[in-house]
Amino acid sequence: MILNHSMVAADAFEKHLVNRKRKKNWTLKAAGFTLMLTSMVDMFSMLVVFLLQTFSSSPEILLTKGVELPNSVTPSMVREAPVLAISSDGNIYLDQMLVGLTKDISKKPNELLKKLNKIKSSWSKSHTSPFTGEINLQADREIQSTVVAQIMGILTSSQFQSIELAVVGHR
Amino acid sequence: MRKKTGLGKKKELDAQLNLTPFIDLLSTCVCFLLITAVWIEIGTVEVKQSHGTSANQEKKETFDLDLVFKDPTEMSLNLKKNGKRVQSLKVKAENFEDMLVQLNQTIIGQVLTFKKKSIEIATATVTPRSSVNYGSLISTLDVLRKNRIVNIGVLTAGGN
Repeated sequence: MILNHSMVAADAFEKHLVNRKRKKNWTLKAAGFTLMLTSMVDMFSMLVVFLLQTFSSSPEILLTKGVELPNSVTPSMVREAPVLAISSDGNIYLDQMLVGLTKDISKKPNELLKKLNKIKSSWSKSHTSPFTGEINLQADREIQSTVVAQIMGILTSSQFQSIELAVVGHR
Repeated sequence: MRKKTGLGKKKELDAQLNLTPFIDLLSTCVCFLLITAVWIEIGTVEVKQSHGTSANQEKKETFDLDLVFKDPTEMSLNLKKNGKRVQSLKVKAENFEDMLVQLNQTIIGQVLTFKKKSIEIATATVTPRSSVNYGSLISTLDVLRKNRIVNIGVLTAGGN
């Protein structure tokens, strides 16, 4: 209607007035926008429900950089224990601290054994129960299985006999 | 509460919900849950090393299973009773995935039903090989765990 009126208006001043009125109306419209609260609350509720479903209270272990975990269809829950990681570049980390190269440690495991003994002694100081020997082992999926087996041998000799191999769960 | 005119003392039926605290609560919940969300589900596969652990104690009257990798597509299975081999089986396929399928079938058909009797496997020991990567080893352990063989050990010496 306004457009038609402006087109019909012959006088230039009249046109100017119509345009000014139109512009004024636009600014008023822009300032008075409404937020669609219903859809926003709907979205928030759905997000909350989804996030609550995926929420887990089980203990989490830090994933070491350079370690791509293998997939598993039969994963168990993670237990809180020291984390030994073997990365794809051959480095070994104990609780995120570099211990050394795999090939060196498999020949001379003294450094790793020393650190494992430290963990054991700190366990005996903080716990009254006997040492459980639990350790989480993270290893890259592409490294040789014999390398992992060698490291597991070192862990077993240091009384860490319950080895939890970290995997990415795909149920 | 606002009363309608002309309805006497009766209260209005349409109650107005105060949305501001509701949205506040929802936003707080969303933020908290987004921060604490775990996107990668890390699990574990438990391995009980059989050298001097409780895994060896249940050897009497039950069967043990040895799985020896020859290469990623070939594996030999040895069923043992009281340390003596009672059955030897071979699993071979064209690729690793097919080998896993065959291994699963062999365990169900020839290991867990030995001489037409269902048996229980006390311990399973997997011998790795350098040509087999760690991911494949985990997949093999998965097959065992799927068949309720949970007392699994990995041979740590002489697997080259």
